[in-house]
Amino acid sequence: MSEQRNTSEGQAAKRELVITRIFDAPRELVWQAWTDPKQLVKWWGPKNFTAPVAKIDLRVGGKYLYCMRSPEGDDYWSTGIYREVIPPERLVCTDSFADADGNVVPASHYGLGEDFPLEMQVTITFEDVAGKTKMTLKHVGLPESMSDMTNTGWNESFDKLAESLK
Amino acid sequence: MSLPAISKHLKVLERAGLIARGREAQWRPSRLEAGRLKEVADWLEHYRRFWDESFDRLDAHLRELQAQQKQQHRKQTREKKHVRTKKHL
Repeated sequence: MSEQRNTSEGQAAKRELVITRIFDAPRELVWQAWTDPKQLVKWWGPKNFTAPVAKIDLRVGGKYLYCMRSPEGDDYWSTGIYREVIPPERLVCTDSFADADGNVVPASHYGLGEDFPLEMQVTITFEDVAGKTKMTLKHVGLPESMSDMTNTGWNESFDKLAESLK
Repeated sequence: MSLPAISKHLKVLERAGLIARGREAQWRPSRLEAGRLKEVADWLEHYRRFWDESFDRLDAHLRELQAQQKQQHRKQTREKKHVRTKKHL
């Protein structure tokens, strides 16, 4: 019992963000906007950003790779693996910063905080509310021990080692 | 708030790494770990902006998409009507 309580209390400083929005559109349309790369590039990224690349392999275990470009021309790549794909209700995927080849990189690669988690998880649910869509997004930073992509860092180190031995 | 309640709250903050606590006799001085708080705040600020602004664009995209669909639908209905009128003639 106390073990369980410790876990939940210990996660108080965990990065967790929940955003809810209502879109005046049927949820099939909102689902497509998330899962069709041709549509995703039209909205992915903050104001004045563009999204030159979106690749989506929409199945459990499938990967995605997105690129967004800032007004200054800086590219930010992100990647992840789909964990749950239940159209048009629920989409769960991991989320990490990446390079252009889809390798996971730490946030510091883009000048963001050293302490950003290497792997995050995004859960999006779509609910039909009288023809409109209530979308809830939950974005959670995963502790490194839970990440199955942390070995990328090692791979990079080994690449460098191999390079230096040439 | 009761003393045991305060003590419990401090314990939670300590486990979360948001405060550090020492021990002097029966006193346990607490110190705010501002660095940890800032890291969490940076993360939240980064992603709140990212999602909020992306969803503003998603909203605009969905509106445009539906306006286009409506227009297309109207055009098709008009064309159908046109064909029907032609048949009549």
